[in-house]
Amino acid sequence: MVDRREKVWLVSVLIVLVILLGSIAYALRTGYGVASEAIVLPPEKAPGLFQPGVKDLGGGRYQVDIIAYQWGFRPSKVELYNPKEVVIRIYSIDVIHGFQIVGTNVNAMVLPGYITTIVWKPHQSVNGTMLAICNEYCGIAHSAMYMEIVIRR
Amino acid sequence: MISERTFIKISIAFSYILLAIGGLFGLLQLVSRTPGAPKLVDEPQYYAVLTGHGVFIAILWTAFFILGLAVFVISSELGKPFRRSLLALAAVLAIIGSVVAAYPIVGGLLIGQPTMGAVLYTFYPPLLAHPAFYIGLALVIIGSWIFAAAVFDVFIRWRKENKGAAIPLGTFGVLATLIIWLEATPGLAIEVIYDLIPMSLFGKRVDVLLDRTLFWYFGHPLVYFWLVPAITAWYAVLPRILNTELYSPKAAKLAFVIFILASTPVGLHHQFVDPGLSISFKMLHTVLTYAVALGSFLTAFNIVMTLANAGALRGGDGLFGWIAKLPWRDPVFSGMVLAFILLGVGGFGGMVNASLNLNNVVHNTTWVVGHFHTTVGGAVTLTFIALSYLLLPVMFGRSIASMGMARIQPYLWFIGMMIFSIAYHIAGIYGAPRRTYDSSYGGLAPSIWDPLLFIGMIGGIVFWISGVLFISNVTLTPLIGKRVAQLDGASLLRNGNGYEKATIYDRIGIWVLIAIVLIVIAYSLPLFEILSRGLSPVLCITPEGLKPFG
Ligand code: HEM
Ligand SMILES: [Cu+2]
Ligand SMILES: [Cu+2]
Repeated sequence: MVDRREKVWLVSVLIVLVILLGSIAYALRTGYGVASEAIVLPPEKAPGLFQPGVKDLGGGRYQVDIIAYQWGFRPSKVELYNPKEVVIRIYSIDVIHGFQIVGTNVNAMVLPGYITTIVWKPHQSVNGTMLAICNEYCGIAHSAMYMEIVIRR
Repeated sequence: MISERTFIKISIAFSYILLAIGGLFGLLQLVSRTPGAPKLVDEPQYYAVLTGHGVFIAILWTAFFILGLAVFVISSELGKPFRRSLLALAAVLAIIGSVVAAYPIVGGLLIGQPTMGAVLYTFYPPLLAHPAFYIGLALVIIGSWIFAAAVFDVFIRWRKENKGAAIPLGTFGVLATLIIWLEATPGLAIEVIYDLIPMSLFGKRVDVLLDRTLFWYFGHPLVYFWLVPAITAWYAVLPRILNTELYSPKAAKLAFVIFILASTPVGLHHQFVDPGLSISFKMLHTVLTYAVALGSFLTAFNIVMTLANAGALRGGDGLFGWIAKLPWRDPVFSGMVLAFILLGVGGFGGMVNASLNLNNVVHNTTWVVGHFHTTVGGAVTLTFIALSYLLLPVMFGRSIASMGMARIQPYLWFIGMMIFSIAYHIAGIYGAPRRTYDSSYGGLAPSIWDPLLFIGMIGGIVFWISGVLFISNVTLTPLIGKRVAQLDGASLLRNGNGYEKATIYDRIGIWVLIAIVLIVIAYSLPLFEILSRGLSPVLCITPEGLKPFG
């Protein structure tokens, strides 16, 4: 019933699946940056509880809190000196936005009502001005929504 | 009350109109979004046009063609009349619903208020459109349910008289399509009726995470609602044009069963980077996604073997000799096979999208645009185009107006699509965003984006021209095509060769039950997570940033 060609096909399909699953397992072990738990924060309470800005936690660790709004990020520029681990927390005060640091794996959704947390461990080679953009449609000036992340080594 | 034939003609003609308008929108956005190319629309218009493109082409062109095709297959294979009142009601609701939903988009563009309908075809709240948009969608959903009732009514009557008989393959594909639709649409219906219509009328606050989850509960099976009819055509029609048998009809039914089982409990793979959904549930959906992919891998094997056998029968020898012996000049054949190849490209990209970690690189980039143009814009649309060349002569008793045009058209579509989608895939890997009017970002954008998007534009223009050839051909056919004897639909579909005994695959009820169990497992967990954390409802806001209820 199962002839040779069927076997070849079956085995190749299984190999592809195993490789993909293996790569996911590897990513999960070595640190998949997008946090899945979310902090619920109703917009009314946000002003007191969520302050945009950079906190230097020492030893190359930073916490960067960002507000996403129609149409921009606050702060619109941050500078980090020799970052090893950056915890980025983003909160939208209006509609859905995206947050993607171009050229990295940092890529997540920002949903109003929830705080998105991303842990970013920039590679040593990351240096200079990085472009971070909103990559989810958020209204008529969506394409104007971006910020700069400056990395100094 | 309308006959089956009238229903098919109306729904297919309507689908062509939608394809034509949506295709025009596609060209406008293609050129406008390419750096250095002329801006044909401004930014607010761009998003209205993009909404129209997604709604008219991706959702409605496919849906209306599928309705016509379903009636054609069912009435040809089962030879039983439909209840005409149900068909008429379904057609009226679906068409009125489409026009109502189109009003904020097209009307808004015409009266200079493009933001009336600029929420894109995923309409994530709290972005707000004119209420007509959501109400029209609800009408389309209700119409589609009545349509499904009309088909199941015919099927149940057929089954009573044919106890113990296997379900013909084409019919099996149509039933699988509708079952997937019925599994999926409750999610959309709840989102639209419970949240979005009240949001747009009275300013109800909605939870964005819950609504995204409901949307993607629907959104992934939606792609199988598009794909399964195309696969059905490959299974039921391709062997017929080649005068051979399908390599394995059993494997074909197995593939359909896999689609019934696993096309719904996978929607979280669209929400990998959403906050608030646990990694374990995302992984569960990843694994189930790989399970649905098995249905596609099975199909790929079955079709290639069928083609190879047909080529070998015609004297092609060696590992690749069979390829040259196939009827590449027949647009019905070439269209379907090129569509099949596009699914191969799209399928591997899809495996990347569905992998939790790789998704991070491509999420919301132009990679995704490349992906769904090879799949729904390539595999599905090109198959429906090929089927049109077969169906129109049957339905109208006229031969295709220009066979010369028909012959080159599928190749142009294929070549254009390959150029477009490869360029967009690569640009996506470099991070170029989708759904974006202007990707210059004050000069900070990587310079590699521009040439890639430009090459993409060239490819897009090529398949857009191919679309114009198609639309003009199908418009002219009923008007100036040569009259030919009207064929009987049944002769176009393989299978009529007598009675076959039913097997385990034909016990559809069992598969539906298992599917429901899988859906409950895969979705009760994330829904529990969302609800037990406590919702966080927010106020709606228009695309220009106004709060009409605030
Ligand atoms: C006829 C020629 C077509 C052209 C020139 C075209 C072009 C485009 C372009 C450039 C985009 C990306 C816009 C952006 O993300 O900013 C797009 C989006 C899209 N296209 Fe097409 N397309 C065409 C046909 C089709 C077909 C036949 C289908 C499916 C049946 C399709 C389905 C889609 C979908 C689903 C989107 C995503 C919409 C969204 O992101 O909201 N397109 N199209
Ligand atoms: Cu945006
Ligand atoms: Cu999906």
